[in-house]
Amino acid sequence: MLELFVAMVKEEWRVHSTMFGSISFALFPILIFWIAFMGSFLLPLMRHSLPAGELSLVLHANYLMLGFMVGAFGLLGAEVMNRRFGQASLLTYSARSLPLSERFIFANFVVKDTLYYFVLWVLPLALGFLLASPFIGVPITLPLLLSLTLTLSFLSGLCAVFFLSSVYSRSKPALAAILVILAGAVGAIALLTGQDPARFFPPLMLFNAFSWPNFVLSGAAIAILFVVSIWLFTPETADATRHYPDVLTPLTKKLSFFPTPPLAAKDLIDMYRSGGIVGQTLFSFVIPLVVIWFFLSLLTGYLPSYGVLLEFAIVTGIIASTMYTWLTMFDTFGAYACLPISVRTLIKSKIASFSVLQLIPAVFVGFAALLSGQALYLLPAVVLCLSVSFYSLGITVWLTGLSPSVLVYNVRVMITYLILIGIVLTVLSAVAFAAPFAALGAVILFVPAAFFARLGFAKWEAHEQPGF
Amino acid sequence: MTTPVIAATGLTKMYGDLVAVNGVSLSVGKGALFGLLGPNGSGKSTMIKMLTGQIRPTAGTATVLGLDVRQDPIGVRERVGIIPEQETPPSFLTATEYLQFVGAIRKIPDIDERAAWWFDFLDFKDKKDVLCKDLSRGTRQKLMFAQAFIHKPELALIDEPLINFDPIMQRVVKDYLTEYVKAGNTIFLSTHILEVAEEICSGFAILHKGNILHAGTVADLVAGNRHLDDFFLDLVQRSRNA
Repeated sequence: MLELFVAMVKEEWRVHSTMFGSISFALFPILIFWIAFMGSFLLPLMRHSLPAGELSLVLHANYLMLGFMVGAFGLLGAEVMNRRFGQASLLTYSARSLPLSERFIFANFVVKDTLYYFVLWVLPLALGFLLASPFIGVPITLPLLLSLTLTLSFLSGLCAVFFLSSVYSRSKPALAAILVILAGAVGAIALLTGQDPARFFPPLMLFNAFSWPNFVLSGAAIAILFVVSIWLFTPETADATRHYPDVLTPLTKKLSFFPTPPLAAKDLIDMYRSGGIVGQTLFSFVIPLVVIWFFLSLLTGYLPSYGVLLEFAIVTGIIASTMYTWLTMFDTFGAYACLPISVRTLIKSKIASFSVLQLIPAVFVGFAALLSGQALYLLPAVVLCLSVSFYSLGITVWLTGLSPSVLVYNVRVMITYLILIGIVLTVLSAVAFAAPFAALGAVILFVPAAFFARLGFAKWEAHEQPGF
Repeated sequence: MTTPVIAATGLTKMYGDLVAVNGVSLSVGKGALFGLLGPNGSGKSTMIKMLTGQIRPTAGTATVLGLDVRQDPIGVRERVGIIPEQETPPSFLTATEYLQFVGAIRKIPDIDERAAWWFDFLDFKDKKDVLCKDLSRGTRQKLMFAQAFIHKPELALIDEPLINFDPIMQRVVKDYLTEYVKAGNTIFLSTHILEVAEEICSGFAILHKGNILHAGTVADLVAGNRHLDDFFLDLVQRSRNA
């Protein structure tokens, strides 16, 4: 057990450090620590407009979402790694060559992910807060409790995705039934208690009022999800004899309005056959955003009535921009290097496919506006969401080219991205809260989006393409 | 020799302090089946990547079919066929769809007929509607071989094209390559299988640690009553001891 676990941790480190250098990767938790440390000094100022309890909501939601995303990547990992590193052979997929069962390896994988991302994300944040706490009048126990509850939030997201995907691999109707039951339960809690169901998220309850029963409840929920996931886990069996109809040529004809129709057709086929169009939409988009909606809706008392919707539209825009990673995760430029295709052409084609995928966030935000009784602000919300998404895409293209899911862990890239996004989001939030229809002005973000994308075309055309 | 289809002068590639290819100059004429030979890690694949514009040389110049590989890498790749070092057909396309994809990018009008011919010729018709990720290494190699020649290029640069093939398929492919150059085309082949090089190549160069140790013709070697494998091993051993 221990040998495999240690080897998996080493492997995870080497995968990341191979991509962008040991030092650069090692600086990532230091960056998180620094942001937390410096950010803590803003807390006394923020308390005037936003109680600390509400801020902790957003923090827990973020870590829950991080768990979702790490879990979703773990499930797609084999194919992604094969594309990134050729015929990758990671320990997680070594049940055929080692005398170990798939379940045993999967259990180690989950434990490794938990510890690894705890060190990478949770620990630096908690340490930053901990070291700043004497200066801002916060009791020292609070950062310790926060590190515990953020870990539990992360684990909740991770195990929830493993659970849902294990169910999905067994029976799609069962997954649908579970999601319906969950939605019903959440609705029932809201009706019966008259409170936002997000208040009953066990790690958050634990943070707000530590008690041993709450602690046991949080741990038990995670343990149950984990055990059931392992129990239901079915290792993917290679079905080499499965045959597929030819859809590339008809699809290429249908997509003739795209700049490079065969590339667009390939993107759609990749998404469909990898399960990405359903899996990614569900696990990396809809579920995290539903969770964020619940958490944001707790801020109703502190924001204008339309504020939650517009803030949600901004967050949706940021998450929608990660759809670019959906389109690039199964590709390396190596797959095209033997063909007469430039990097510029390839990125442009990905942007065109990305534009089509933006229908999903547009519809999603539209529904959020209607369901929240804010139909009046549907248009500003959709414009805000799409403008933020394309602006974020432009920056992503400039900073990461065809490797967004890898280069995001490069500290320099991350800092530049955060600064460029942070400034715009702060201004947009302020403008939207002051005058909701002024949010329509966010459409101007398409100008810097195009500018950054053009910078990216030139930059990545001139660069040698990385092998990931 | 006629006008060279490949001409490299002082071609160098460095990765940080590591010199992968060190000032290589060589010339390959039209109609040659040229073998670039060398041990693992000698710089063969790097040479092919530079000559096809996949990576940029650190120093030196190279033209392929008269096109500068630095200035016009897309133009080079339009006109040549390439088999890369690692077979990388896209995971979620079937074998048929991949060849159609290549046909669409290369604007080949009769791609379906040509694809059918290749499935038949390399004997993998039964795998044509299987996803590339589910194909065996050998079948992927067949697919990559087909994509490199499907547009009938006048020059193909192929990296270890036989490595995953069984002896029967190796024979088929060697015969194809021999006939291909007889028709006036040119092949630039990288390999460390010396028997193959001796059997089918006309000219060759031996690369070791990024340096050309020798360039010549197989005919000259045979005339001197030497075998390529002995010659190669002597040369590399002397280079290692030097």
